[in-house]
Amino acid sequence: MSVELTVNGSAVSIEDGQDLATALRSAGYTGVKCGCDGGTCGASKVFVNGEIAMACGLDAAEAAGATVETIEGLGTQSDLHPIQQAFVDHFAVQCGFCTPGMIMQAKALLDENPDPSEGEVRAALDDNYCRCTGYQKPVEAILDAAARMRGEEVAADGGETRAIPRPEFGAGGIGGSDNE
Amino acid sequence: MSENEEPTTDGGTASQASAEELEELEKYPYEWDEPANNNLEPEERESVSTPAEKSDDRKLVTGQAKFTADYEDQFSDLAYTAVVRSEIPNGRVTAVDTSEAEAMDGVLAVLTPWSEEVPDAKYTSAGQSYPEPSPWDMQVLNERVRYVGDPIAAVAAEDRETAAAAVAAISVEYEEYDYVLDPEEAFSGNAPRLFEEDEVENKIVGHDYSRNRMSHIDGELGDVEAAMEREDVHVHETEWETIRQSHGQLEKHTSLAYTDEDDRVVLVTSTQVPNHTRRQLAHLFDIPIRDIRVQKPRVGGGFGGKQAMVTEPIPLALALASGRPVIYEASRDEEFQAMRTRHPMKLRARTAVTDDGDIEAIDIYTLSNTGAYGSHGMTVAGNVGSKPLPLYSKVENVHFAADIVHTNTPQTGAMRGYGAPQGTLALEGHLDEVARDLDLDPIEFRQRHYMEVGDLDEIAGMMGGEGAKRRIRSCGLDDCVARGKEAIGWDDVEQPEEEHLHRGIGMALSAQGTGVAGDELGAAQLMMNEDGSFHLHVGGVDIGTGADTAFVQIAAEILGCPPSDVIIKSSDTDITPFDYGAYASSTTYISGMAVKKAAEDATERILEWGSRMLEEPAENLETGDGTVFSEETGESVTLEEIGYEATYGEEDREQILGKGTHSTEESPPPFAAQFVDVTVDDRTGEFDVNNLVVAVDCGVAINPGMAEGQVEGANHMSFEMAVSDGVTFDEKGRAEVSDYDEYHLPTASETPPIESILVETHEPTGPFGAKSVAEVPTNTVPPALSNAVRDAVGVRISEMPITAEKIKAALDEQ
Repeated sequence: MSVELTVNGSAVSIEDGQDLATALRSAGYTGVKCGCDGGTCGASKVFVNGEIAMACGLDAAEAAGATVETIEGLGTQSDLHPIQQAFVDHFAVQCGFCTPGMIMQAKALLDENPDPSEGEVRAALDDNYCRCTGYQKPVEAILDAAARMRGEEVAADGGETRAIPRPEFGAGGIGGSDNE
Repeated sequence: MSENEEPTTDGGTASQASAEELEELEKYPYEWDEPANNNLEPEERESVSTPAEKSDDRKLVTGQAKFTADYEDQFSDLAYTAVVRSEIPNGRVTAVDTSEAEAMDGVLAVLTPWSEEVPDAKYTSAGQSYPEPSPWDMQVLNERVRYVGDPIAAVAAEDRETAAAAVAAISVEYEEYDYVLDPEEAFSGNAPRLFEEDEVENKIVGHDYSRNRMSHIDGELGDVEAAMEREDVHVHETEWETIRQSHGQLEKHTSLAYTDEDDRVVLVTSTQVPNHTRRQLAHLFDIPIRDIRVQKPRVGGGFGGKQAMVTEPIPLALALASGRPVIYEASRDEEFQAMRTRHPMKLRARTAVTDDGDIEAIDIYTLSNTGAYGSHGMTVAGNVGSKPLPLYSKVENVHFAADIVHTNTPQTGAMRGYGAPQGTLALEGHLDEVARDLDLDPIEFRQRHYMEVGDLDEIAGMMGGEGAKRRIRSCGLDDCVARGKEAIGWDDVEQPEEEHLHRGIGMALSAQGTGVAGDELGAAQLMMNEDGSFHLHVGGVDIGTGADTAFVQIAAEILGCPPSDVIIKSSDTDITPFDYGAYASSTTYISGMAVKKAAEDATERILEWGSRMLEEPAENLETGDGTVFSEETGESVTLEEIGYEATYGEEDREQILGKGTHSTEESPPPFAAQFVDVTVDDRTGEFDVNNLVVAVDCGVAINPGMAEGQVEGANHMSFEMAVSDGVTFDEKGRAEVSDYDEYHLPTASETPPIESILVETHEPTGPFGAKSVAEVPTNTVPPALSNAVRDAVGVRISEMPITAEKIKAALDEQ
């Protein structure tokens, strides 16, 4: 049987009898990733009726009539969402397999809490496993994205745009050699 | 280094060089014949050592990037795979009943060890160069099974659910043998035996299958036993144990196989070694290498686990049997039970040290558990000695030996660090214990013996195999130590107010290599478009590290164009030139140098065209800012103008091409200094790691943002080795871990802040001074945390993982 739902603003029909992540992937939303055997790694996170959820932990049939947002709906390569842009700017992406789920989780956090502490960012990522980064740069990216998004709000109100903190790389490393 | 400051091999105390030293200077010169364009001052660099945007990031953060499983929608008739795996740790399959599975609707093929399409050939999954330094002891599907998880049968079906149902309907009968899980018991001479002599081809040095030993290696410099017996030395002996770590990369092993319209075999696969995979498949299936195409799409992490050809033969056999394209995506349960892990080891370190703190001898022995099969068994064990021990190149008497034994546990393989983490734990934990016992400063004690520029390292090559000696031409250990000490606050440790809390700092050093000395090959090709942009084809393999971006930055630096003008295509054996693959920290150093050569080759032609157009001799011209320009006249012509002229010129036309191929005997070590700040509760043994600081000398970082990311990710993996259980087994040899929630990969809030420091040196043998970065910070947290706990509360935890229970028990014993 087919299940009707809305994905990123479009009416979509998926097949039931499978988990929602697999169904979304079959419908072309392959930014939804599957890194485990169900419900633990966080790579398949999407919004279902505004709530963040691992799509692999839901039956496709449960999504009937739901409004689903996937990574494909967030930003485009030429017009990135501020969280996506911060991940790029901070080198928070290595293999990138966990990244869609992590960015969706970051969006869920920042929707609720626009000014999180580092500890709150880390806690929010606790069911998003990453093997590449040690979480250091994703955490920095999310904190920076929060600042950028707050800055945008200030600017929209007619106030001054806040200086966007930019990462510094290799600071002090250049010319630090004593081998010459 | 200026000419009159050349260091001498003995540290500068001798006045005259001996004949032997002169001969060594000839063979292993201090000065490397380096082209001027390889050694750029920071302000001269346009592209390298800038944090250029990672070239695949935009498609990754928007979910547009294609990993192997994302190719599913290109095949309307794709079939899905499930695998029957052994339920017993040791025995023989006597019967496989597939009748029910074969009768199921939607089942396309069922294969057993006896099926025609299943190769009989012995092989190793190792993914190494040829001839392989791993035994051929495996088969694709197995009648003789040696661990819980050994593959026995495979099914291709119309959908995943049918494949899983068919596997469940297959029944297997076994003749069960006694089994052995413990490596010491396996090696005792009284244990069940895993292999008969005639069951292994390409046997490895030191094998003794009657004692389950696949290899024994041994190497010595000087006379260690004589030094140990001297009257003026203290002999210390310590023992260490490491975990069985899973690679845990987020993307599971995934391979898609089909035959194309030319009846050639195509594999789209999540691999670190496309060319080695092609050769291994040719061997197994008796298909000419030329008729196999291996394409690597985006890869969701490898860490050595995808150097192993774990999945590829199964969907290929099923594709040949069914005539359909077949995908096999391993489950996470299979990842933990039946793919590869780091070799767990038991190690012993011994030293002879004088009262004054002179190390007269170091001896390390390891017993390595290679599991059911021997891939990487000998070479990983060799690296336990050959990577860490050269750190102390001033020590004259050095011995290393290893026994590598089989047990009825899942197979081990290559994993980031490749033996160095195990050896670094033993060496750096041991030296800390010696320093404390002899009341020596642990850093000063190390500094007196550690490597410096000009040293001739004989230790890395003392087991044979990997070259003989190597000259050290870059070494940032002093800066790594100084900057790490400052960042962690080494000299200013404030104790908590609570009496039961104790803060301590531990440190450890590490060295790795950069590629396998004398056993690497990389190649690249460039072609110029008429708009002044370039296509770069390179065999080098980006498995999520950012290697593609580094290649682009290296090409752009030489071509004098922005990185965005270089379009990269990598890792497709039909299109891109040969490469050994992504392992041994070789990619930037070997494949990157091939890219640099290809860009230089193309630049020669670009300058020739610039010379014609500007009517200036080519030797007066340079590339930069997207142009060819003359410093003398100030005249310039854009690369686009050159592209159009070369492509559509009235009198003469030329496709501007460049090619580069690189191989070397060199493997310069990168270095790391690790510092760990810990607070321990002496009532419970509970501890908090407050901060990890790791300073790394990777030469010139081609992209500092990506290099920092490698350092931090490696340190997280290293932290896990210090605090997590890894893959454990029940008494039947069944892995007790089947998904991430059972495997204790430290989460974001369980991971301490990681401060990465890049210390720049210039390695003249690497592209623009680069050497490797991604492995060396994997080695250092277990010893540094063990040393930090020792510093905080005075107890030594030498068996990983470090737990509150072990600290409490040790405190109670005090």
